[in-house]
Amino acid sequence: MSATHSLYRRLATWLLLPLLGLGTLMLVQAYLSARDAADRAFDRLLEASSLAIAEQVKWQDDQLWLDLPPAALAMLATDAQERVFYALYDDRDNFITGNARLPGLTASDDTALHYGDIRWHGMALRLGVRASRLEGWSQRERFEVRVAHTREGRDRLALSLFAGSLGRIAIMALLAVAVVLLAVRAALAPLTRLRRAIRGRDPRTLAPLALELPRELAELRETLNDLLARMRRVRANQERFVGDASHQLRTPLAGLSARAELALRQDDPQAWRAALEAIQSASARTARLAVQLLSLTRLNNPEATPAPACLDLVETARSATRHALAACHRRGIDLGLEAPDDAVMIDGIDWQLEEALNNLIDNAQRYGARRITVRVGALPPTLEVEDDGPGIPAEQRLLMLRPFHRGAETGDGSGLGLAIVDGIARTHHARLTLAEGHGGRGLRATLLFLGDRE
Amino acid sequence: MTRLLLVEDDTLLAETLQDALRLEGYAVATLADGDQARERLAEAHAFDLILLDLNLPGTGGLDVLETLRRHDRDTPVLILTARGAIEDRVRGLDLGADDYLAKPFALDELEARVRALLRRRQKSGGQLQVGALAFDALAQRFTLGDEPLNLPPREQRLLSCLMRHAGEPVDKAQLAGEAFAGESLGDNAIEVYVHRLRRRLADSGVELRTVRGLGYLLATP
Repeated sequence: MSATHSLYRRLATWLLLPLLGLGTLMLVQAYLSARDAADRAFDRLLEASSLAIAEQVKWQDDQLWLDLPPAALAMLATDAQERVFYALYDDRDNFITGNARLPGLTASDDTALHYGDIRWHGMALRLGVRASRLEGWSQRERFEVRVAHTREGRDRLALSLFAGSLGRIAIMALLAVAVVLLAVRAALAPLTRLRRAIRGRDPRTLAPLALELPRELAELRETLNDLLARMRRVRANQERFVGDASHQLRTPLAGLSARAELALRQDDPQAWRAALEAIQSASARTARLAVQLLSLTRLNNPEATPAPACLDLVETARSATRHALAACHRRGIDLGLEAPDDAVMIDGIDWQLEEALNNLIDNAQRYGARRITVRVGALPPTLEVEDDGPGIPAEQRLLMLRPFHRGAETGDGSGLGLAIVDGIARTHHARLTLAEGHGGRGLRATLLFLGDRE
Repeated sequence: MTRLLLVEDDTLLAETLQDALRLEGYAVATLADGDQARERLAEAHAFDLILLDLNLPGTGGLDVLETLRRHDRDTPVLILTARGAIEDRVRGLDLGADDYLAKPFALDELEARVRALLRRRQKSGGQLQVGALAFDALAQRFTLGDEPLNLPPREQRLLSCLMRHAGEPVDKAQLAGEAFAGESLGDNAIEVYVHRLRRRLADSGVELRTVRGLGYLLATP
């Protein structure tokens, strides 16, 4: 079984692909929340250190004065070797003191702390800006404390938080994949059983499949069993046909051999002549029977049917009529054609239709017609053979279509001709009807072409 | 003497056909397999007519036919097929066979086909014969039995056309085209000439029959 057609792979793919998407989303989300948590933790430190600095800002010698407490910066420098910057600005944005001239942040309102990520001298910095004012009774000067540090500590914390969730997600994903694969395999197990049951069968047996299966597959099993039942009927028919056929062939052969044996015992040339005549007609009949058996077998084999092509019924009828002309003439039968002037086109297999006409003409000859007419109709397309022979009683007409059924016991037909015509009609989506001829005499066999498959 | 080649592997059928055709006055050579037939037919125009079975040991009948037609376009070939199917005929006729006969066939049917094919071949020779009726195309003269048959020009053209197609029906359109090319004929002129010819041929053993829907046919009963 190739990869593209494996049900197992298909199911697994369709279940695992969304799982992969989901896993990716979870990873992204874990990374974002790890960064967020790390930022929040370190922002607390920024806040604390900026507050500690702001509390140390004094008014001295008519200006702002900062006595930097070392702890305020130490808390920002973790063991990750970050670089820490601070700066004090007055409310006119003049640099007062600090170890770096840090930029400010816009939209600052009173005493709140604002954070921002900035790039400064090629470094990515987290900047906290605190707007504050002196709390003395004489001086209420506004000032800004700006504190910033590089991101190493934050990144490291974010990474370790992310690594933790990554491990958990990976374990979950592995579990999910295993569960999906196991579930798919378990769900498809009945299919495997069905396949093994079918493969393990004796190819000759047509017995129904008896196998406990889930509902969806039980339907498939029933369909298979229906098919098998139909095949059993077809095989029964075929066996009956072969039986009938061998009986039909054996009987005249036995007759031939007996007749020849009898003639050899006799000395009278007159008796020889009679025997030879009987042998001749019996062997001709047997040979014809063999031919008809062959064509019936081929008609019943849909794989041997050639593709239909566009053909002219008038041309087909003309060809069949011309071909039968000599034989009819020898028997003194008047064979004629009635066809429209214009072509009647249908899709069909010309030699099969010709064979159908030959069989109908042949039947009419054998059963005592004096006048046979082949007729082509245009609307709807029909092929018809009418004779003035004894005809077939209405109640027997349907039976005549069955192989080996013979109407009048007096005729020398094989009982296969109409079955062959019926078979050809069916491959052409045509209907074969038998009716009495004009004036209530004889037989009129009509092939009515119903057009494309309905 | 007319030389026929019969290629048929069934001994009983081959012997019977050979005897029957010899009784008809033909010289018959019989071969039982396709390879021999192909060798024999390498020489062009060794025979006047070939009766060819399709289902042969060695080279198949259709292959023999194909080989023959490569260097010989006009020796008539009559296919005998046991396969019984008209589909084989189509292939055979495509490959250049002139007629076919499905087994089983009646002996007289075979003899009639052989006569028709040989007659078609003689057409160019100038002498046509249907039963007691003979036509010398060079002299434009008909004889019926031993008596010369004098015909007015139109009946003469009509009858010679029917003789060329003896044994097969010729429809009115074809007659008008072949026998009266370019002449304007009254509606039932052909019927009138046919009626007259019929009267002339009465009791001669040659029949001019009407085949409904297919035209007129000249044949011996």
